[in-house]
Order: sequence, then structure tokens, then C-alpha cells
Amino acid sequence: MFDDKRPEELAYVGRSSDRPDTMEKLTGEATYVSDMRLPGMLHAQVKKSPHARARIVRIDTGKAAAMPGVRAIITGDEVDVHIGLYIVDKYVLAKGEVRHYGEAVAAVAADSLEEARAAADAIEVEYEVLPPVLHHMDALKPDAPLVHPDLGSYGYVAAAFTPMPGTNIANHTKLRKGDVDKGFAEAAYIVEREYDCPSVQHVPMETHVAIVQWGKGDRVSIWTSAQSPFTVRNLFCHAFGLAHAQVRVQIPYVGGGFGGKAGIGVEPLCAVLSRKAGGRPVKFQATREEEFSLLPCRSALTYRIKTGVSAEGKIVAQQMTMYWDSGAYADYAVNVTRASGYSASGPYEIPNAWVDAYTIYTNKPYGTAYRGFGHVEFHWAVERHMELVAQAIGMDPLLFRLKNALRPGSKTLTGETIQKNTGNVVACIEDAARRIHYGDLTPEEKERQKQTGWKIGKGVAALHKAPAMPPFTATAVILKMNEDGSVLVNLALTDYGQGTYTSIRQIVAERLGFPPKKIRVAFENDTDRDPYDWQTVASKGLVLSGNAAILAAEDLLKNAYDVAAQALHANPRDLAHDGERVFLRHHPDKGVSFSSMAVGLALPNGNGIGGPLIGVGRYIAQGLSNLNKETGEGTPALDWTFGAHGMIVEVNEESGEYRVLKVASVYDVGRAINPDMVRGQAIGGMMQGLGTATCEGYIYDKDGRLLNPSFTDNKIPTAKDLPLEVECAVVETPQIDGPYGARGVGEHSMISVAPALGNAIQKATGAELTHMPMRFEDVWRALENREPIDNWITKSPVGSCRSAPEARPKE
Amino acid sequence: MKITLTVNGDRYERECAEHHTLLRFIRETLGLTGTKEGCGMGECGACTVIMNGRAVNSCMVLAAEADGAVIQTIEGEAKGPTLSDIQASFERNHAVQCGFCTPGMVMSVKELLASDPHPSVDAIKEAVEGNFCRCTGYTQIVEAVTELTGTGAKGGLDHV
Amino acid sequence: MLHPFRYLAPQSAQELAAMLADHASDGKILAGGTDLIPNIRNGVFKPSVVIDVKKLPDASSLRLGADGLSLGPAVTVNDILRSKDARERYPVLCACAHELASHQVRNRATVAGNVVNASPCSDMAPALLCLDAVAVIGSGTGQRELPFREFFTGVKKTALKPGEWLDRIVVPASSAGARGSYLKLKRIAGHDLGIVGVLFVRLGGSLRFGVSSAAPTPVLVDTVTAKDGPDQAAATVLGSVSPISDVRGTKEYRQHMIGVFVRRLLAEVK
Repeated sequence: MFDDKRPEELAYVGRSSDRPDTMEKLTGEATYVSDMRLPGMLHAQVKKSPHARARIVRIDTGKAAAMPGVRAIITGDEVDVHIGLYIVDKYVLAKGEVRHYGEAVAAVAADSLEEARAAADAIEVEYEVLPPVLHHMDALKPDAPLVHPDLGSYGYVAAAFTPMPGTNIANHTKLRKGDVDKGFAEAAYIVEREYDCPSVQHVPMETHVAIVQWGKGDRVSIWTSAQSPFTVRNLFCHAFGLAHAQVRVQIPYVGGGFGGKAGIGVEPLCAVLSRKAGGRPVKFQATREEEFSLLPCRSALTYRIKTGVSAEGKIVAQQMTMYWDSGAYADYAVNVTRASGYSASGPYEIPNAWVDAYTIYTNKPYGTAYRGFGHVEFHWAVERHMELVAQAIGMDPLLFRLKNALRPGSKTLTGETIQKNTGNVVACIEDAARRIHYGDLTPEEKERQKQTGWKIGKGVAALHKAPAMPPFTATAVILKMNEDGSVLVNLALTDYGQGTYTSIRQIVAERLGFPPKKIRVAFENDTDRDPYDWQTVASKGLVLSGNAAILAAEDLLKNAYDVAAQALHANPRDLAHDGERVFLRHHPDKGVSFSSMAVGLALPNGNGIGGPLIGVGRYIAQGLSNLNKETGEGTPALDWTFGAHGMIVEVNEESGEYRVLKVASVYDVGRAINPDMVRGQAIGGMMQGLGTATCEGYIYDKDGRLLNPSFTDNKIPTAKDLPLEVECAVVETPQIDGPYGARGVGEHSMISVAPALGNAIQKATGAELTHMPMRFEDVWRALENREPIDNWITKSPVGSCRSAPEARPKE
Repeated sequence: MKITLTVNGDRYERECAEHHTLLRFIRETLGLTGTKEGCGMGECGACTVIMNGRAVNSCMVLAAEADGAVIQTIEGEAKGPTLSDIQASFERNHAVQCGFCTPGMVMSVKELLASDPHPSVDAIKEAVEGNFCRCTGYTQIVEAVTELTGTGAKGGLDHV
Repeated sequence: MLHPFRYLAPQSAQELAAMLADHASDGKILAGGTDLIPNIRNGVFKPSVVIDVKKLPDASSLRLGADGLSLGPAVTVNDILRSKDARERYPVLCACAHELASHQVRNRATVAGNVVNASPCSDMAPALLCLDAVAVIGSGTGQRELPFREFFTGVKKTALKPGEWLDRIVVPASSAGARGSYLKLKRIAGHDLGIVGVLFVRLGGSLRFGVSSAAPTPVLVDTVTAKDGPDQAAATVLGSVSPISDVRGTKEYRQHMIGVFVRRLLAEVK
């Protein structure tokens, strides 16, 4: 919905605008679910498994049930409810067998938190400990224990996924393009490497929390810190066999999500406790430790890439094999696998491509969506690989990237032709490189290097991502005019800090011609009051809801013009409007105000016409298709947002210590609806990416217990960890079907930060890092050619969990 | 036990459970829920309040220890219906995203500016080092302080 | 959430002694609380009584006297950083204090608490060891003094006996003016526990190294001489520590970095 307007012709879009939510957030008035208390509310606590895999022999709740204040205790045996987004594979509470450390086996609701905790502690669970399968490559071995022996009996979304019963493979995504054998045969160089990254935590500052009241007549009210109210309702209704009209989901302010709250979380647990407690509302809030292991994380990845390159440096063939660690349940991980599978090459043209992407069950906390939806992880591999291939063939990595980058006329892995308006990754790469003076050191940098003795290096990494969503993803926006002519916007896309509502407000203001201060976007989301939105994920919110908002504004204006036309005895074609009124274009002094029409226009004689003014905008993704399950062919991408980071780092070669001196990030956002919001996403995502690049990651002991489930040993970046200099820029190649030309950028800022850092470290020192994170020790080990510490699954106490290559499944 | 303390200028005399933290007392007993809990371990700073002039993690202070103390929370920051200078600068500089770290962040900045009205960028980073923010990447928070104190400008997005 | 316990705040040493006698097995002393409260939350400690020493007379006093700098049990880490006396006369103390946790934590955490915990990664212990500080230990039967060299006896173990408490820390006047710096290797630039930390102090003619996170206790190395080259000095320091591998780093890397830090500190002096 780009209408070829130049930036200076737009009054509100493309300009700075205040966020509508800051006043409440800055004063402490914003209410989050963690702040809520309902009359009669009970507090829940869970009993968690200390084992990665064990048979539950016996659970004795007798002692706990007799304790003061206890109103309900639930074990897995009592709840025969399976939940799952794409594969229905998870019980509300473990039943028969626990599949990961930290999994809930029983839960208590009591009058106070202390009473609930004491009772949960008093529940006795007898386990028969079973050998767990921990590393995803080990899970592929023929003799590996099966995490889900009943995989063949589970329901799943057959249009998109292919589980392999009798194995630990929850999904196998395939993509075949061209003829890879021929391509490799013609290649002058073939480079094959393997890369990996561990599971990481989203770390929203507000942990998962919900309050659920299972009322009489099976009417269920849910208040939850979640991203997607309608998905919570839909999955909940499916799991419990309830009509959608019986369930209401409300989402007030949300303290961060990053994908971890995309689907359904602790709501079913609260629900079964409330039902058992006779309908009293039950609140459960995860502790920070529970956030790490009771709730999901980001999947680990092992990615093997084999690339054939011509003598001129053009990629002629690439074989890509991804092994995604789903943990104990499939959740979003199967779709991460699918979405990563069809984007697996990064923003480069691969004429002959072969992708196998596997989602693998293991006995670990399960993987879910996380900002970037797989692209952070696999771009780590792709963009390090581009660097290493360039090095192997003796070409500058930047040139190698530019030579192979997607350009108009290129075909993506799924066969989509890149258009001029798809976006410009070349411009992003070139600008990022320019901003760091790629290629050599400035005199100041040379001087600094001399002073400190730390080596300075510069690296660039590019990125792309399209929203991972069903091809028919839809949303709606409703505008309601208030009595004074101001407008209320209702939508179920949530804004948990990204700033989408600010941009939606600007879009509505622009299309209506009203100042933004006359537009309020209702913050609390409510499935009983808001129109449908699929999910707040995938960087699709601004595009789909923005388009719906434009349509809603046009609908509101049409309805207003219809009333005004009657009142003014004019044809609607001869009317115009400003922020206050609709008037005759030929006689602007003759008009009728929006406020007088807002709830129905009263004529001088008292007759009424019109009725309350509303505008409805419905939008569904256009022209997308399912992918062929054998070849991957199809059209999955609502839009492609391209980008690149340039990074300058200084490294101490003796110790492996390093400091990031500068990051320059450039994205082709189509149009920056609000430059400040784009910058907020750009820097926030970059820092989150830097966190996973430098220090974050799950560390397990050899029995599958998580060793760092808190901020003590899972650090995230602080203000002191900021690069000395941060620059953000946008290229604006309008997306023809995006609102005012915009496309999404919420996730992209986190993608390819790690490889930009890895490339810069390599440039500075020669260290070839292929695993994340890049701790100082990892850099030191790479420089000293020491065996890397593969301690993400630690065997007493440092050991390695590298698995044998022969375990990899053959086509 | 009974404790007496002043919070945001209001004097309270209340019974408190001896094992309750100051954070829990403020949120549950006084109903001031602007102060948040992010970890309960003193690592993340979401629970930061000002106690006797010093920014502290209220999750690691017992309510009983605050007997006689003067406390400020985020609820006491705005001047009547208008935002304080710090809050207004956070708003102007888009230093708020999800908002969960914001109350603690503002309290840390407040203590900093009370002792150092023109802090260096390094001093600002050090003052908020104990306040995790997962959304903003901190830059706009630092800019909110430097713009307020006249040592820096609002950051911008370049158009290529 | 913390489990229910009682809170006691003795007003005198006698009261404190009596409370400690009554609660020898189920009582815990509270000073800054930045270690105790998280440990209670995590179930590491489950006291039925928490005894706050901040109301003792002089608990918060930080005094410069003829015998040196005297710190009460409630003196916080930031009190040190704000003290002109400490900054001017005991800069080494400040160098270590500055590396401890975050600003908010330093506003509550006490110097006494940081050493009574006897964590191997204590940031204040290297300074107190290198500066010949003395622990003044209180009890129902009077006071005794113990140099910090003899204070740490094992992982999280000190020479404090049941019924005793750390009543004062005295950093002697003879250590005033000592210069040095503290290098702490962390996973991030922000607040973190050390992977290893090395403090280097020049006191009169003697060279001292205080090492954290590299042995069951914080370690003092005072056998390096001015004649030793950097490699010899590093070897001497390494000979006094026994780092382990854990989630923060391997033994190998810790050993390597102690050497790097010793050489870097010596180079700084030149």
C-alpha cells in the first residue's frame, strides 16, 4: 500500500512521534500481569524434575495436601490434556516420564506463596532415572533412546511438517534447487565446514506469568504476559475442548517477549489448578530460574555447509544440513527449522542448492521462537562460512559477498525472483562497510593499536529474513470514533515495547489526516473486544496490521463521507476533510464536523442519521503459497528485509580479550515509519545479538542438569557492554504492498551480529571461530590452536560432547 | 513486626512479615507496584528504589531493615501530573520499550544526578550497570541522561 | 520469596553475643544482605533467625586513626569509594571496591560481609590481604585480633568460631600510601563474578599479589621480589594458586590469565 508519496508529502509517517505508552511506563502506572491481584486469588508453585529423563514411579501428595492454605494439588495423571502448536506433543504436567530437567511434574495452589512453596516441596516423587539423550547429534544415532516413542500417534500440521516416527526427528524440511552434483563437479573450489551455537534464553525482564480463573459453566478468563492473545485462546480451546466463546484472554502491558511468549505458556497450568480449586483465580509467575528451564529457550544448532565456488568467485553449488535441537518438545522449533530451511543460504544467490533441515528431540528444555526465528543461529554459520570460503579462495570477503548477493533477477532458494522493489542488500553491505572504513585502518586506529598493543580488525556480515508465518496469515484493525471526533484503535497485535503501536498511530493519523494526538491505540489486548490477529511474531506486525490500519482509516472516512454527503446534500466525490470536519470542496465553509457525526448525526429537527462511526480494515497476506515438501518450491515470503552490520573490534592476542569499538547497522526497511522506533529496534536487537555472540548460552552437566539457570552464570549485556560507537542507518526501497512502503525490522537487528564480530576478530588476529558464543577463552583457544571447550554439555567437568559424524542421516 | 517509614513523602506505619523483602512490602503491603522484580537476586536492578538517598536493590533488603527509612519509588518521581525532568528526557529520547526495567533505571539515574549533575558517559554507564534492559540496548537511555544534562544530543537514524 | 524467619536487631555487643549463643545452629548474621538474602532465597541457608548487626554502636563507622583505617561491620563498599581518606591513603582498597558487583549492590554490600563469606572470588579480600589488614573479632567473652592472612581457612570457611563475629576491620597505618591495581577477568564488561582477579601492590619495598577466584580461598603472594623478571613473578604467583575448571572458565585459561595479568601489572609499573 505504497502510494508513491515523497517523504516531504507525508505529515506524520517517516517522522518522529512520541510513544503512546511512555507516560504509564515512566510513572509506574503501567500494569503488568505480575502486578495484578484478583479477589480470592491463589498462588501456584510447581514441583520440578531434577532429572533430564526419568520414569515417574510414584507421586505422593498426601503430606502436601494436608498443609495449611493448600487449595489444590495437581499431578500429570489427573490431566489428560495434550498441547502443541505444530505437533501436539506436550502434556500440561509430565505424565509417566519426565523429558527434561526442570519439567513440571506437579503443581500446588495455595492461599499464599509461602504455603504453595512449602506444599510443593512436601510432594514426594519417586523416579526411576533413565539415561537421557542430551546432544542433538547423539539423538540421531540408531541406538539413541527415543524422547517421544509415540511420535507416530501425535497430531501435526501436515501441510508444513514431516515428523519421522521411530526416530528423534520431529521434522525434516527439504529443499532442492537445480543440480548440486553438477554444480560441485563444475566448481573450482569446494569448502566444507561445520558451525554451531548453543541454546540461549530470551530473558524478558518480566518472566512468564498468568492468572487464570476457571469459572462456573466452564467460562475461562485468562490474564497473561503473552505476545499473541488469539493463539493463546485457540490453543487453549483445542487442548481443553472448549468453545472459543467460553474463553477470554486479556493481555495488559507485557515486560518483554522476544518470541519466548509467542505461543502458549503457563496458562494451562493455572487453569487446571483453578478448576480444581473450585474456580478461584490462580496466579503463577516463573522465577528467573524457572524461566530458564521450565519455560522454553532458543534451540541449539549444528550447521554443516559445503560450498562449490567457480574460479571467478561465484557460488555454483551449496549443500546445507541443519541439525536443530528441539529439546523435549517440538513447539516452534519445527517451524524454526522450516523457516531456516528455506532461507538457509543467507542473502546470496545459490543456483544449485540442497538443504536438509532436521528438528531433533533431546532431553533438554525445549526450544521455541526467539527474535530472528532461527536466522540468528544459521546466519552465524552462513556469514562465518562466507568469510572462510573467501579466505580459502583468496578473495576479499566483502567482494565475495557482493559478487554473490541477491540482486534483481536473482532467484531465492524457493524459486522466488528478486525484484527491484524487494530490497537492496548490496546497498546495505556497501554502506555498512563504508561506515567502518572497511579494508584498512585509519591513522587514529593505527595509533590506538600502537598504544594498546591490541589488534584492530573489521568485519562485515549481511542478513535477510522474511516473516515465518502461514501463507494465509491475517489480521484486522477497528477504528472507533469518539464523541469528540478523536479515534480509538483496536487491534490484537500486541506492543510489548517494539513501538508498533506508535507506528500504527502515525499510519492512522496520516491516512485520516488527523494529528496523532487525536488517535489512541488501546494498549490492553482482549480477545473479547479486539479483532483477530494471528500472532505478534515474525516482524510481520507493522506490515499486516499497518495495511489493515490504512484500510480501516479509509473505511472510517468512507462512512463519515456517506453521512456528510447526506447532511450536506452533496455527492461524496465533491467532499474533502481536514482533522476536524468534512466539507464541500467547492464551498469549504459548508461542512459538518467529525464530532457531530461521531455517534450519529442529529439533524436540526432532531432526526438522526448515520450512527456511530467505525472503520474496519481486514488484511490477509497476498500471493504466498505452501512449499512443496520435496523441493521446497513456493512463495513463503511476505517481504524480505535485508541488512548488514559492520563491526570494528580490538583483540588482545595474548589473552583473547576483546572490545567492540564500533557497530554500524544498515537495513532496507522500505520506509522508516518512525525513525526513532527503527533505531530502538536496531540498537536493542544488536545488543541482544552481541549478548549471544559474546557470553550467553546454556551449560549442562553430563546428566542434563542446567548449570547456569540464573543471572549469576548466564550474563546478559549491561550498559558497560555497549560498543564505544553505534551507528544505525536505513536504505528505503519501498515495499510496494507494505504500508507506506514499510517492511518489518524487529528481528533483523539481532541477526548476523555474531558473525560480524567473528569476522572482525578473525581479521584482527586470524582466529577461526566456528562456535558461539565467543568468550575470551574461546578466542584464546582458537589463537593457540587448542581444542575448543565444548562445554555446553559438560562431562566431568570440562569434557566434550562432540558426536561422531557417522550419526548424520543419509538422504 | 511493626515498621514506620516514609515512602514518596508519605509516612506509613504498617505490620510487616519479618521475612518479607522491602520489594514485597512496597508492592504488596503498600500496593506500589511500579517497582518490579526481575530476578530476586540483586542482579538485574528492576527492583531499584532509593533508600536514604542511595539506590538499592529492594529485593535484597528486608522490610524490617527499612524501619525508619526514607524511601523513594518510581511513583514519587513525577511532579504532580507532569513528568520529572528525568522522566521527560526518557520520553523524548525513546529510552523506554517494554518498560519493565524503566522504574529501576530511573531510580538509578536519579541517584547519579543527585551526586553528579554532569556525569560523563562512563559514569552514566556505571550508574546503570546494575539495571538490565533487554529491549533498548541502553544507547537511548544513556542519551536521555546526556541530553538532559546538556552533554549530548538526541540520537538519530541515518538515511542512506 | 523467602521462607518465614524472625528478624532480630541487637543494639549492643552483649545482645548480639546472647543471640548468637541462642541461635548457634539456626541463626545467620545479616549485614548488607547482598549475599545472605539471595542465599536464603535459593535455599542455600535456611535460618530461623536473621540477626542484623547494623544497629550495633559504631557499626557504620569508617574512621581514620593513628592505627590506620578502621571499618565497622556495616561499612559498605561504596562507603569506601566515597571516603576521601580511603581514596587518598588506601587507593588499593578503592581499586578492589570499584570492581565489586554493581553500584546498587555496592550501596548495600559491606566490606565485612564480603570477607566473612570467604568466597574464593571475594574482591575485597585481595586488598585486605595485601594491605596487612587485621580482623577484630568480637564474641561474648571479648575481642581477639587476627591478621587476614590467617582468616580464610577454606572454601567459604573462616577462622571465626561459633559465637564470634567480625566486629571491625583495621587496615594498618603502615599500609597507607601503598599503590597498586586490580585486574579482574569477567565474562562481560558489566558486573560479574571474576573468572580470575589479580591485585598487585607495592608496599614500601615489598611486592605483593592478591589473587581471587584461583584457589579455595583468596590468596596472598608476597614472595615475588623486585629482582624477579615478569615470567619468574608469574611462575611464583601460579605456584601459590590452584584454579579449577567450572562454567566460568577452564583451569588452563585461569592459569594462563593469571600469568598474563601478573606480567601486565608489572609492565604497568614500568
